[in-house]
Amino acid sequence: MASGKTKTKKKNFKRYIPLYVMAFPGLLYLFINNYLPLPGLVLAFKKFNAKKGIYGSPFVGFKNFKYLFATKDAFVITRNTILYNLVFIIVNTILAIFVAILLAEMTSRIKKAYQSFILLPYMISMVIVSYLVFGFLSTENGFINNSILKPMGLDPISWYMEKKYWPFILVFVSAWKGVGYNCVIYLASILGIDRSIYESAAIDGASKWQQIFKITIPLLKPTIVMLTLLAVGRIFYSDFGLFYQVPQNQGALFSVTNTIDTYVYRGLLELGDMSMSSAAGLYQSLVGFILVLGSNLVVKKIDPEYALF
Amino acid sequence: MKKKIASLLLSMTTMAMVLTGCGSSAPSSDQGATATIKDGEVATAASVSDKAAQAIADRKAEAEKSGKYEKVVIAFFDWTGRPAGLDRVNEALSAYTEETLGLDVELMIIDSAAYGDDMKLMLSSGEQVDLFSTCILGYNPSINNGYVLDLEENGMFDDYCGGIKEKIRADYLDACRVGGVLYGTPPIKDYAIETCAVCVGQEYLDAIGYDVSKLPTSDLGYPRATWDDINDIYAQLHEKFPDKYVMAIQDNELTQGSSVDNIAGDYFGTLLDPQNSLKIEDVYESDIFKEWAQRAYEWNQAGYLSQDALTDTTGASAKVKSGSYMAMMACCKPGYKTQISGECGRDMVVFDVGESFMSSSSVSSFPWCVNQNTEDPVATLQVLNALYTDSTIETLMCWGQEGKDFKVNSDGTITYADGVDANNSEYYPNVLWLMPNPYVTYVWQGDPLDLGQQIADFNDNCTCKSKALGFTWDNTDYASEYTALKNAYDEYGPKVVYGFVEPEQGISELVAALKAAGLDDYMAGKQEALDAWAAENGIN
Repeated sequence: MASGKTKTKKKNFKRYIPLYVMAFPGLLYLFINNYLPLPGLVLAFKKFNAKKGIYGSPFVGFKNFKYLFATKDAFVITRNTILYNLVFIIVNTILAIFVAILLAEMTSRIKKAYQSFILLPYMISMVIVSYLVFGFLSTENGFINNSILKPMGLDPISWYMEKKYWPFILVFVSAWKGVGYNCVIYLASILGIDRSIYESAAIDGASKWQQIFKITIPLLKPTIVMLTLLAVGRIFYSDFGLFYQVPQNQGALFSVTNTIDTYVYRGLLELGDMSMSSAAGLYQSLVGFILVLGSNLVVKKIDPEYALF
Repeated sequence: MKKKIASLLLSMTTMAMVLTGCGSSAPSSDQGATATIKDGEVATAASVSDKAAQAIADRKAEAEKSGKYEKVVIAFFDWTGRPAGLDRVNEALSAYTEETLGLDVELMIIDSAAYGDDMKLMLSSGEQVDLFSTCILGYNPSINNGYVLDLEENGMFDDYCGGIKEKIRADYLDACRVGGVLYGTPPIKDYAIETCAVCVGQEYLDAIGYDVSKLPTSDLGYPRATWDDINDIYAQLHEKFPDKYVMAIQDNELTQGSSVDNIAGDYFGTLLDPQNSLKIEDVYESDIFKEWAQRAYEWNQAGYLSQDALTDTTGASAKVKSGSYMAMMACCKPGYKTQISGECGRDMVVFDVGESFMSSSSVSSFPWCVNQNTEDPVATLQVLNALYTDSTIETLMCWGQEGKDFKVNSDGTITYADGVDANNSEYYPNVLWLMPNPYVTYVWQGDPLDLGQQIADFNDNCTCKSKALGFTWDNTDYASEYTALKNAYDEYGPKVVYGFVEPEQGISELVAALKAAGLDDYMAGKQEALDAWAAENGIN
């Protein structure tokens, strides 16, 4: 985008009119969906009353935010949210690149089939995933207890009551579900790399390993940086389905599965308080916004080429 | 934001499931007087005051001038979404109310899963909804969010709702007051419960040769049993059917299995002896809870319960219906045997192990409210009044049109009209228990004609009525404590309730976690509000 600078702005505009027209529906959607509701954020600082409306309701300052921090669980839920997301970002990125490279190197016809199979879990609703997981982990009828542990002569495990396994289970499920989608994006970038680079490398005697590490990965860097930056922006959000549905909302696992989203959801479900919900939402997006700006700044310091903006 | 909406939707679905599980109650009956149902008759003509008649005449005159009647919209939910025959029913309703009330009435029936969200949006955006059920939405949240109208503003309630006052006892109406203000009127239903009804499949009892008739009969006509009797039955069942689970256990040991009053909708600070004392205490430290924990632990140790009980959220009756479980516990009331047998898909024997109890929030759990934004409060209140008194309106609302949706049997009960069944029925909301007054209309086939009277007697004869009947508490100021408490309970409570941990140890962990989550502050808050309420209402 930045490279296409032409002489006059007017000329530019004329040239891009078809593009603007094409972008218009999307921009309109963004405007209506993402910008119009912005003034409603004021709700986070008010005590909502339908009689007085959003703007007429009285201001209460930061009282609605107190809810998030006044509890002893604040540390646990913040820690879970951030650490899980960090692990997800790292594990899923590495796995996605790995799979994308494998797929790119593949020449056989069933490549498309592999690609679809890997993408499939991404399409499945978390509720269904949670039952697939349950099929494996059910104490009485689960696959693992009955078909793996029992034949080996081991005691069955009450999976849904033991905290220690869950960090691994969640990371595994997240990777299984998410890798397909990220891998498609990486695969697209890999296929976009000029084949002649590989050819000349091959002529110069570069092995497959060297080609991957010296060509593919360096050229993937912009994509990696972009996807990671986007992920970092959502580090304060957690995948609600993953943390709520997959552990079957089991209380015994809360200390390893409770995140900001599930905590707020459980608490506010019964209160139905709009102001507190918007306070929680505002807090999450604000921190996310700062994190994106921050990490972008860091990236810019290291290499301006890769910064998002 | 999308995720927010998704999670909200999800929450509503879960809630709806919970409600389907425990709410499908109160089969209907008129008060033993089917004869009062005649076309075009306003049941309580005597209660229509001059002011009311004047208001109706004014509206009719207005409609004559403009050629259009003003409309009152009534919102509630059902389990399957907008019924196919709703337009037809609405037309019939309006045709009738144009005559009697001088206005059009429109029922707005929303799927239970969407009801909470839809209503919040409509109530805060100014769309027309005049009357609505606060079920799912919550009575207290509705008041806190300012959705509802003070029914007694300018003496409106006295002027236009005389019929309601005749139908609902004053103390039940007062139970819906919050801070002295009447925001809603309760549906006429069973407010009391008979705690601890252990339901066992008839076929299983036959198989072990258990003679039910040797047990005494309780006031409600069910066999009266003790926990020892039940344990004895369970042991025999387990021996006879080792491949089935004996009991579909649920986390209802307090809600349905005790007379502990869950002040303000949660068990974090309760009245352990609600009939005599207004002292807020921690139920989880009490002997009541300890007994339950011990019982569940023994059941679990004996192999009566599923090892997946904690994760399997299927409703107990659905589990019994599946044929893998033989018994469950709920609470009962008149007509319950028919209901639970229907839910479980087999004949059930209901053992009455508990006592009757009416909790503080039983009456005010989901009253009907008027939108504060309603254009014509007088018209809306008159419609509300008619919902409680007018059999024609209530029949249309509960059952649809005669001949098209239902037909009257020779014994006075009703059933599906010819050619109509459960699958192709165009109007069968199946939420009688939230209808304002399902007892001014017909009774569905299979229920006694005097079910309304039976329910009324059951309420009136309840021996253990909470002293705090009608007390409600707004816990918004304690939201963070509440969330922390709920999390602590979810972490340590269910294990104990389902008997997966040794009671002593499990309870001490639970109690410690609740204390750490701020139970004492929360209880103090409740106590303070309760004391103030008691002083205000002259209760001591």
